[in-house]
Amino acid sequence: MKTKRLILILLLMASQFAIAQNPDISGFARNYTGVLYDNGDFTILQNTFNLDISKSGDKIAFKANPMLYHYNSDSLNLRLRELYLNLYFNNFDLRIGKQQVVWGKADGVFITDIVSPLNLTEFLLPDFDEIRTGVIATKFDYYIGNSTFEVIWMPVITPTETPPESSIWYTAPDFPIAPTFDYSKEYIDPSLKNSEVFVKYSAMTSKIDFEIMGAYTWDDYPTMHIQKTIDPATMQLTGLNITPEHHRLSVGGGSFSTEIKGVILRGEAAYYNGKYFQTEDPLQIDAIIQKDYLHYLAGLDFIIGGVNLSTQFIQQTIFDYDKNIVNEEIDNTMTFMARYDLLRETLHLELFSYIGLTNNDALIRPKISYDFDDSFSILLGSNIFVGDSDGRFGQYSENSMIYAKLKYNF
Amino acid sequence: MKKLQITSVLIAIIFAIGFIPEVSGQSLTGEQIVEKAYNRATGDDQTSDLTMTLTNKSGNQRIRKIKQFTKDLGEVEKSIMFFLTPADVKNTSFMSWSYDSDQNDDQWIYLPALKKTKRISSDSKSDYFMGSDFTYDDLGDRKLEDDTHKLLREETIDGKACYVVESVSKDEDYMYIKTITWIIKDNFIGLKKEFYDEDEDLLKILSIKKYEEISGLLIITNSEMKNVQKNHKTSMVLNNVQINTSISVSKFTERMMMRGL
Repeated sequence: MKTKRLILILLLMASQFAIAQNPDISGFARNYTGVLYDNGDFTILQNTFNLDISKSGDKIAFKANPMLYHYNSDSLNLRLRELYLNLYFNNFDLRIGKQQVVWGKADGVFITDIVSPLNLTEFLLPDFDEIRTGVIATKFDYYIGNSTFEVIWMPVITPTETPPESSIWYTAPDFPIAPTFDYSKEYIDPSLKNSEVFVKYSAMTSKIDFEIMGAYTWDDYPTMHIQKTIDPATMQLTGLNITPEHHRLSVGGGSFSTEIKGVILRGEAAYYNGKYFQTEDPLQIDAIIQKDYLHYLAGLDFIIGGVNLSTQFIQQTIFDYDKNIVNEEIDNTMTFMARYDLLRETLHLELFSYIGLTNNDALIRPKISYDFDDSFSILLGSNIFVGDSDGRFGQYSENSMIYAKLKYNF
Repeated sequence: MKKLQITSVLIAIIFAIGFIPEVSGQSLTGEQIVEKAYNRATGDDQTSDLTMTLTNKSGNQRIRKIKQFTKDLGEVEKSIMFFLTPADVKNTSFMSWSYDSDQNDDQWIYLPALKKTKRISSDSKSDYFMGSDFTYDDLGDRKLEDDTHKLLREETIDGKACYVVESVSKDEDYMYIKTITWIIKDNFIGLKKEFYDEDEDLLKILSIKKYEEISGLLIITNSEMKNVQKNHKTSMVLNNVQINTSISVSKFTERMMMRGL
């Protein structure tokens, strides 16, 4: 509690200092309420205050983006999404501090977009601009015409955030007995040896836009090392110890987008080298096995009768597959998006859905929003989970909900 | 001396004959008039602050402010827009490269919330720009050969002698079946334009409220598009117009889209 107060005081002091420099200030205040279809529980009662403070000059710029979340109790959650300095030079820029980095051409799918990890505490439901976590990094961009060479160095790993046990999005591991957890190896000391490095070359041309990337990183998802204790007399499982641990991962990939007769064609692929997967093979130490895998996507964006449409096919393939691996060898997903604006772009209709082809499940997200004026809008939407309960989306079939967002932009 | 006088008269007559097609509208075809209007000099580059005021039929107004840069590089014209207001689109930028050839425009949008530059389809030319009464096509350079042009008559409006030219789209699916433009004879500025929908009913009227001489060039600084069927309108006012300031080509890159103003 003291820490939160200290952060708030520091934030207010920083805001005062920033305001004295006459920066640009914008942001929004939002009320977000969600009700489960199943039992009428208010699963989301959230108020959000987002402040974007920035000041830009010819040689230097700064940005601070704190976000304050207030939940149904008096609990406050302050997130510093970004806080960085930009230094501008003739042919290169340097960005130092906490920042969000977005790579790739995919929408709502994260393939080469692996610099900023995800906040999955509310599954994939937050807006895509809020689902990423800021990372402490130094970003160097060198420009040659319309192409950019980018290097990002991160001294400390920022892991993916997963739902707590109290959350409706928490999925309990399926074990025959209650496990004990050992978190001693989960934390990675910030050091030169433990740094992460990401490189990217990108170009924007009249024919095609493309990116080529590589990364020497940590797996943002910890691998669960499972040690079993078996009673030799009865051969019964008597103990289960789980040690979450992050492992190194090398990734190479790229993406492109181009226009063919009014249709935008997009593609993205990444090869992940040395990812650990859970296995049920009793001969494998810690119930894990290391494999390479490919994650790729092909997508189309087009317009028919004023309706913006977009579809993507995504496949994840594990190489040298072993049948004991918990994950499927090939996992196929599709996304579909339709958006139509009416009344001079004040009324917006949208449908976005993930469709799991491997498990025949889906997340369907229709929404309608209306802008009362340039600053105030209301959104009504629904998140509908359907299909096989073993599927990534179908497992949340009891979490289907209707929700409303009131938003004031300033 | 007399020989010199005769020669001078002959040269004068030849120049006069040579100039006749340029000064007399009777011998200009509809296509030639529109070509002159399309090719009217507007400078090699331009910077301006654009304010769009959207007024609905109840008289309520919404205001959009944009900083825009344009550069003509010969075969390609590049432009970049930075959205300043309203708050929910602040720091969004839009870049377009338009080609003299048949090649489709290249267009990108940078969405600051998503921190992503997206290539978007140039097929959206019939979409309305930011909810205004201007489509992307209304704001861009329509190609001369996209329509069949016919000089209907000459007429004086607002005290200015104009050619009245009808332009019929060659593409049957185009949102306007035809347009009629009043082009000032003296300077080839399109003073008024009527847009007709697929039923040949009048849909919109573009009126030029003001044009100014800036750096020796005539620049339209105040225009209004009115949708007569739905009774709403959009005014577009340019301020701080600067011409030929040698804007760097590097202004029209992803780096600048993401960096903003």
